[in-house]
Amino acid sequence: MNSKTIVAIVVGVIFFATLAAITMTPDRDELINTSAVAAEVAPVEQQTEQEPIVEPVIEPLICLDCHRSPNIETNEGIISSQTFCYDCHKEKTCVRKSDDKELVLQVVPEDFIKQQPLHQYIACIDCHKDVAQSPHKSLANAQCRDCHSVHGENTAHDPHLRVACQACHFESKPVELNSETGAVSLASIDGKGNAISLTSHAMADMTDETSCEKCHVSGNPVGAPASVLPSKSFMCILCHNAPLAMGHPIFGVAFLIFLLGIFATLYFWYQGKVCGEEESIHRKIGLSSESLWEIIFSRQIFGLLKIFILDIVFQRRLLQESVQRWSMHALIFTSILLRLVLGLFTSVGFFFNPESDMMLALIDKNHAFTAFANDLLGLFILLGILWAVAQRYIIKPAHVKTEIRDNLALIIIGLLVVIGFVLEAARIASTGIPADMTGGAFVGAPLAAVLGVLGLDWSAVYPYLWYAHGFLAALLIAYLPFGKMRHVFTTPMTYFVEKVAGVKRGERV
Amino acid sequence: METTQRSTKTYQRFSVLHRLLHIIIIVNFTLLAITGFLLRFSNWDWAGFLVSLMGGAAAAGTLHRFSAVFLYVGILIHVCWLFYYKFALKGQWFGPASLVPKTKDFSDLYQNLRYVFGKGKPPMFDRFSYLQKVDYWAVMFGMQSMGITGLFMWFPEYFSTIFPGYWINVANHFHFHEAVLAVLYIGIVHMSDTHFLPEVFPIEKSIFNGKISEERFKQEHPEEWKRVNPVQE
Repeated sequence: MNSKTIVAIVVGVIFFATLAAITMTPDRDELINTSAVAAEVAPVEQQTEQEPIVEPVIEPLICLDCHRSPNIETNEGIISSQTFCYDCHKEKTCVRKSDDKELVLQVVPEDFIKQQPLHQYIACIDCHKDVAQSPHKSLANAQCRDCHSVHGENTAHDPHLRVACQACHFESKPVELNSETGAVSLASIDGKGNAISLTSHAMADMTDETSCEKCHVSGNPVGAPASVLPSKSFMCILCHNAPLAMGHPIFGVAFLIFLLGIFATLYFWYQGKVCGEEESIHRKIGLSSESLWEIIFSRQIFGLLKIFILDIVFQRRLLQESVQRWSMHALIFTSILLRLVLGLFTSVGFFFNPESDMMLALIDKNHAFTAFANDLLGLFILLGILWAVAQRYIIKPAHVKTEIRDNLALIIIGLLVVIGFVLEAARIASTGIPADMTGGAFVGAPLAAVLGVLGLDWSAVYPYLWYAHGFLAALLIAYLPFGKMRHVFTTPMTYFVEKVAGVKRGERV
Repeated sequence: METTQRSTKTYQRFSVLHRLLHIIIIVNFTLLAITGFLLRFSNWDWAGFLVSLMGGAAAAGTLHRFSAVFLYVGILIHVCWLFYYKFALKGQWFGPASLVPKTKDFSDLYQNLRYVFGKGKPPMFDRFSYLQKVDYWAVMFGMQSMGITGLFMWFPEYFSTIFPGYWINVANHFHFHEAVLAVLYIGIVHMSDTHFLPEVFPIEKSIFNGKISEERFKQEHPEEWKRVNPVQE
């Protein structure tokens, strides 16, 4: 029994030892790192008495280290994703080599937190969408537009749709124009041909208008107007998509004069008797608003609506008098009305839904439809003005009596449209928008070709043209309640009063 | 009906401005209630459907804030009018025709309760009865607190630099519960104490056409009637 037991134990030990020897394989890490470990062992042992230098252990990359998608909706996922990027990018040695140039791609975490206090809480790949792929290279910039909307007319004085967000919002100064797409972005190569590292996330101070001067200076490489122009005024809504802003002080002055004119007209009207009341302005306003209220909330309003549509929008009474006069008037009036409707629709629509494709198309001056509509309506206004001028000075029918104020209205509107077209052409000529993008601007684009022949620096001329256009517009607004243009208010008013009073008479009140 | 109205003399009870402000409040209050509750109950299917009709949650939020600003502009115009009333029209802010609560209102309430239970005469109201004053001040104070809590939620970054962050959450709760209160108040109290009175059912027209008949003037606002026509009484 004993000998059998001993033999059994010995045989068993040998059997299992053999099995263990067969199945045992060396550790994978050991196999890879044998050389490194062998090299490290000796110096570490020597320096143990002083300061132990811990050399970074180069761990092997496993596929899933990169090819994974951390849940960047959670704090854990964001931190682990950021840590993964910083693994390489926090080092000074993180460089990209191309064309013998070294580009440092270092991002210091502490600096990033200071520069982007709000964006520190989101993952790098939330903005840098296209880097998490093979090859590891970003072709697009950070994708701001995934979260942020584009600016409307107000903030940037112009939508700046072709300008990359970073071009304005980042501190780096040099900018470049892509001649194929017409897009403006931060330059990655400066004037001397050195590569610029754009890894600093420092933001420019956008409240400071001098930050606009990286493009808006004379001789800029992107064809921007040579000075920082003020924003449009809300009064520009008559013809353009306009912001809710006063704009340049000249518009404020014009608006004050406009209000003064309206006030003076109303004051003049209230000098008369209202329903027998002669003395108290308060009673007169009370009585007139009372009768206005009664008209609005009665069947009479439908009659007035009919007059508004037929006699004011479609100008029926003028059409009954003379087709020629109606056509001439409609070329000017209907075109301005349509531009007002388009501008209002764009402004309100963009306010409520800045991300919709339609609104992005409508605020884009280069979009085929928007450019075509603006050019066509502008051309109509100009034709109407020319027709009126021809009536007054060449054809001279008996009923036309030219006064100075008639000339003034024609001159202001005519010049406004002409300068508007030159402005559009100068913008196309100086910004170098590719020809296939300006197809809609059937007046502006050919005019731009003509301007190009003249050989002027149109980005330097543009501000002067802009101020001329703005000054004329302000003049028109200020002139509205005084001269010829007063008929915009008084004629509809007369139609309404005649309808309510129920009599046909030439004069009001 | 129209012939009888023409035969009786009418007096102006509300000026055009006040009628206009009332319409502004109706429209904006309704819009605020609809958009606000749809956003609050966004996890309900029907709310999602109705919000999609408005162009999505962002559009509903924009509409909510737009209506809020519009409504508050109405309040500001009303305050401007108060100054105009005091200084241009030489009116009295605390006079008997004002909406300021007075001891008479409490005695009116007591007298009205007695009258309801069959004891004594009905109270003699002035230009505004105590219930109408409650209606006015409910809106006046309600708009202030809804406005402040609403601003807290509109600009949380700014307000959390002044107040602790949890105040935003507190404001959120106040805003919602006060909205429920306001809608219930308008729907139940204001509707029943003005429009559902047997004399005027289904609608009290005087806030819309500004007129009150001589008969109702004498009956419902006898104190003011005495002041306006001292000779005839």
